[in-house]
Amino acid sequence: MDENKLTLRTENRDDQTIVFVGGEFDLEVASRIRSALEPLIEMTDRRLTLNLQDLKYIDSTGIGILISVVKARHSRNAPFDVEQIPSHIRKLFEMTGISPFLKSDSPL
Amino acid sequence: MLKDRNITLTVPAMPEYVDLVRLTLYGIASKMKFTFEDIEDMKVAVSEACNNAVLHAYDKDDGTIEVRFAFVKDELSITVRDYGSSFTIEENKETPAMHGKSIDEIQSGGLGLYLMQALMDRVEVEHGGGTAVTLTKKRQRTEEPA
Repeated sequence: MDENKLTLRTENRDDQTIVFVGGEFDLEVASRIRSALEPLIEMTDRRLTLNLQDLKYIDSTGIGILISVVKARHSRNAPFDVEQIPSHIRKLFEMTGISPFLKSDSPL
Repeated sequence: MLKDRNITLTVPAMPEYVDLVRLTLYGIASKMKFTFEDIEDMKVAVSEACNNAVLHAYDKDDGTIEVRFAFVKDELSITVRDYGSSFTIEENKETPAMHGKSIDEIQSGGLGLYLMQALMDRVEVEHGGGTAVTLTKKRQRTEEPA
């Protein structure tokens, strides 16, 4: 079950903060991820990126959190994007229609 | 010979047990030779049904979720039942999906039922002494080895 355990790691590169989210992003861990992202949402002079290469699973709670981050960053005029989305998760993003909102088009 | 080959799992209605339902589903669906893609679809749908029970059925009281797996004629039906106060799964008049919407129009609610319907062949919801959601998926014929 260990590969399903949530992993969260933050990396700072120049003007970009990358959060690596691995394991299962579901109802159980939603509040943990939300509080990890909250301070980063406020850092409007940095590009915020979520890297999902090790993500195994996401549910509607997780997608809901992504939507709230998209909206929060947009209202602050700050860039946010999601990279390296595994194919079975990309399918859910396509299905719900969130995909176009996960690419930031306002470069810093 | 056992005629009834159904499998039932009962878990506390708490977020940390939903992954146990997913693992059980994975085991059963693999045994029944569903494709990897169909198993992934069912994992998401079943978890959404469980999430609804966890979030809405029992208010702050303790309760359980019963998940019944029934395999009949090439179809796997998964019934997620709670014995709490019946809740109406929110079904917006507007689709909760975000296709063609602007950033100001998109909302984070209501995606659970939408995903269940998009990922399964049939979704039936019954009320009475709690809520029961039955999710059905047809097994596809595959040539690839399991």
